[in-house]
Amino acid sequence: MIRPVSDRETDKTSGFRYIGKKRRTKEDPRFVAGRGRFVADVVLPGTKHVALVASPHASARILSINTDAALALPGVRYVLTGEEFCSQTDSLHIGVDAPKVTRYALAKDVVRYAGEWVAAVVADTRAIAEDAAELVEVEYETLAHVIDPEASLASGAHLVHSGHGTNVLFQRKFVWGPVDEAFAKADQRLAFRATWGRSSTVPIETFGVMAKWDSAAGLLDIWASIQMPKYPDQAARALRLPGNAVRVHFDVDVGGSYGLKRGIKHTVLVGYLALKLGVPVRLIEDRLENMRGGDMHGPDRFFDMQLAFDRDGTIRGMKIRAVDDVGAYAGRSPLQLGKPVGAICGPYQIAAIEYEPISVMTNKTPQEAVRGFGQSPTNFAIERAIDRIARHLGMDRIELRRKNLIRKDQFPYLIPSGSSYDSGDYHAVLDKALKAGDYSALVRARDQARSAGRLAGIGLSTCLEPSGGNAAFELLFNPKNETTTWMDSCLVRVDLSGSVTGVMGTSSSGQGHETLISTVIGEVLERDPETIRVVHADSLNALPSNSPVGSRMAIMLGGAAAGAARTIRNTLLAIAAHNFECSPEDLEYRDGNVSIEGAPSKMLTWDQLVEIAHRKIHKMPPGLEPGLQSQFVWGVPTGGGLPTADGRVQMYPCYAFEAHLVYVEIDPETGKPMVKKYVCGHDCGVMITPDIVHGMTYGGIAHGIGAALYEKFAYTEGGQLASGTFMDYLIPSAMEVPDIRIVDHCTPSPLTTFGQKGSGEAGYLGAPAAVANAINDALDPIGASIDTLPISHLALWEAIAAAPNRQD
Amino acid sequence: MKSATFEYIRAGSTAEACEALKQEGDSIKLIAGGQSLIPMMAMRLVRPAWLLDINEVSALKFITTSDDGHRNAVRIGACTRQSVVERDKALAERVPLLRQALGYVGHVQTRNRGTIGGSIAHADPCAELPLAAQILGASMILRSSSATRTVPAETFFAGPMTTATGADECLEEVRWPVWDERRTGSAFTEISTRHGDFAMVSAGAQIALGDDGRCVRASFGLGGVGQTPLAFPRLAQRLVGTQLEDEAVRSAAEDAAAESDPGSDLFATAAYRRHLARVLTARVIRAACEQARSKA
Repeated sequence: MIRPVSDRETDKTSGFRYIGKKRRTKEDPRFVAGRGRFVADVVLPGTKHVALVASPHASARILSINTDAALALPGVRYVLTGEEFCSQTDSLHIGVDAPKVTRYALAKDVVRYAGEWVAAVVADTRAIAEDAAELVEVEYETLAHVIDPEASLASGAHLVHSGHGTNVLFQRKFVWGPVDEAFAKADQRLAFRATWGRSSTVPIETFGVMAKWDSAAGLLDIWASIQMPKYPDQAARALRLPGNAVRVHFDVDVGGSYGLKRGIKHTVLVGYLALKLGVPVRLIEDRLENMRGGDMHGPDRFFDMQLAFDRDGTIRGMKIRAVDDVGAYAGRSPLQLGKPVGAICGPYQIAAIEYEPISVMTNKTPQEAVRGFGQSPTNFAIERAIDRIARHLGMDRIELRRKNLIRKDQFPYLIPSGSSYDSGDYHAVLDKALKAGDYSALVRARDQARSAGRLAGIGLSTCLEPSGGNAAFELLFNPKNETTTWMDSCLVRVDLSGSVTGVMGTSSSGQGHETLISTVIGEVLERDPETIRVVHADSLNALPSNSPVGSRMAIMLGGAAAGAARTIRNTLLAIAAHNFECSPEDLEYRDGNVSIEGAPSKMLTWDQLVEIAHRKIHKMPPGLEPGLQSQFVWGVPTGGGLPTADGRVQMYPCYAFEAHLVYVEIDPETGKPMVKKYVCGHDCGVMITPDIVHGMTYGGIAHGIGAALYEKFAYTEGGQLASGTFMDYLIPSAMEVPDIRIVDHCTPSPLTTFGQKGSGEAGYLGAPAAVANAINDALDPIGASIDTLPISHLALWEAIAAAPNRQD
Repeated sequence: MKSATFEYIRAGSTAEACEALKQEGDSIKLIAGGQSLIPMMAMRLVRPAWLLDINEVSALKFITTSDDGHRNAVRIGACTRQSVVERDKALAERVPLLRQALGYVGHVQTRNRGTIGGSIAHADPCAELPLAAQILGASMILRSSSATRTVPAETFFAGPMTTATGADECLEEVRWPVWDERRTGSAFTEISTRHGDFAMVSAGAQIALGDDGRCVRASFGLGGVGQTPLAFPRLAQRLVGTQLEDEAVRSAAEDAAAESDPGSDLFATAAYRRHLARVLTARVIRAACEQARSKA
């Protein structure tokens, strides 16, 4: 059942027993001891292995495929090509209304990016499959290609999907508020371009999937390294199977995801092969396949920014034209331009906004959802704009932020694009971060470094993390999509021994959901979370879920677990009331035992109550089901609305806030940057497990430093991926990430069970902006600036060498 | 990323290894720590028919810092782990540049496995150990089933991933010259995007000063800016007799940069590398000189 959100537990903020307490996470022992069970650990007798034949060309026609030599190799079982596969399965789901931009795991007739899969070889071992993949002879005729998104937008550009008629997947100009007036009346205006490089999250575990078809049962079992809403449904649909003929096992640990473990194309391919061959088939991507053909690159975006503001620092209006290069296929990636609509003005009071998202295709590896779903690039562009305004006005960046930040007394705050921010105290969090970083000492250090001839800079960013996973951007970007339901659910079961088990659907990819659920159930039932087991149901047993996306699980799964536990608690109270012949209001619930208020000796213990529920129907109140379990389905608070004609919609319920403070120095002779100090003030409401929140924030900041300075999937003009291994795709190591100090603040959300907000994308949403602002502060004295990420050593040296005020 | 099929032999002695090399010649590849070879095989960039494992050959693992007929040289067995060399205090005193260079080789974990000889035999022009060998004029002892010969660094490094080692030869030992001047200083540095990456440019220098503060001996070199690691004996000789004044150092650095022949890649253009060559050369000469001066 979906219940209203009014039954909150925040009246207990003063006295949580387990929530917010520093406790070891439930998952630690198995991961630390190497006892995780990942997809590659799932062993089934007779399993066959898949390797892929990839296109060497960015754009080409497939003239012929000769599989004879590959099939002749001992140990090879099958070679599948697009001809067969595309006729026997259906296209994968496309996020926008572009029916001609079909997408299959294997190319048919044409290839659209270097690395695209052309054939799949199935063999007794992965090594034999790779040997055979080399023997598949594909004859190509190269075609024109397009790599640069601006070239792709130009008329006459090579069409990536000729049937679609254009390379544009989505384009719309939203105008929210009096934009023309703001720009006409403002004292000052400025414009610039900010560019976000094609980076991603690159988990240690690549994507993997195993499938087994049971022809007697008519059931396809799937084990996968997956983090994806509606994955079982989409797999069944593309395989032309009924939904209940696919069973996804969610008890598989996922070795990192951060949004992008959505190997639906891999799954349909392996599922088809398992069906066809009648043996278990698995595909564990290797790193080369993962980076080139795994379709898991992130946003690749430039922003043409225009700002209108007054001399006193009041920002009147902002125009954003955002062009995002999704690569060769659509999938869900164009929607990454949609999420930022829910926080389009950042944490600032900007009343007039124009936003023109343009999603364009090129002959590159396709994009997938990445941590923040497009919000971090947008935050970067907005934060660069704030710093540029301050510089333009000669105003202190902190003062400018303080002037424009939404004030604590203005919540709930309705932004021009239709979302209402739930709560926050942005000024307090910013002040906390500045204090923790000893801002004035930092300024002195910077100025001393500068007078000693070094380049030194301080960076700030103040950013939002929309959370709660109400994916209303789907409706905004695709009028044919009317999905307004984004529920999540939990089942709580108390067995005859009195032990508590929480059941969740979907797999976890490091978010600590077992800790989350056990903590929440423990809190409500007043039972020790250590004793509460949490299991992942398979997709045929699971309750409805939308999986951990959009920083939603603390809110949604936490809320569902609390709801189910509360029903159990109410049941125990009802049983006691019936046996004491009193009203439940006269009873006191403590540690799972129920006694009459004021008469503690009149008590039914947890064990006694559980026994009544399971064995003694004669002691049960009439109408109550025996046994002791409860399921609870929760809808997204504030969700369910459709967009207005001008594209306003409530997108996310909760908004966490982070204020970053960074100090960098750059070697003026070599261009080498060093991040020397890092502080992050963070407010995600009530933290259910602080260690998990902090861990996510540390990781997010490291990832953000990577996006700002190191990580890029670079392409040659010929369309070849130039950074397809960890030699060239550079993830920051412990040597590049400084000590990070996180300062917590708590503004509870009024919309959630315990006042919690999401935090799964924390750190990443503000780190690239803060690092870029620090670099630019360092370059400011010599008159240089860089607005393109990642800011490489080379880019820094070139900017320094060309700087007008360079000191030699 | 599964290697193509190969046959595997584990050698028990240097003689056994040399015998196998004689038998299989070009189709065999020696593996020591495997830090470069294994990824190259996994990506099928290298497909040896035979893999000859010398990790168990104890005769190839030694460090000899004492004078045992090889005065003024430290001998290191080719299969000695980089981390073992890094932790050897006596060696650090006698060949300080080697330890300084080792600090930039990968990470602790890779140095625990990687070997001195493996890195030198692989001869990546960006790698640190070949550069240190080039700067110090190390000698490589090459052994075949029938003979042993000594090849100096300047002729050993023949090009990118190419050395003077014959198909039937095994790198047995590297001899590192020890400078006996009391006031000797050395320095090594590099610029790479991340610590542990192959350098865009690396630089090392060793300088000896007389009691009057004049340079009596000098050597310096650059990695990542040519087909092999480069040493600049002619330019180094120009420093001898000077007080290593700013002008002398600057002109040596400028000329070294001018003589280098860097290429461009994803992370650095030739112009950037040449610029770094100049900056880093000056830095290592100055740092080595500082260190020498500190030894009063």
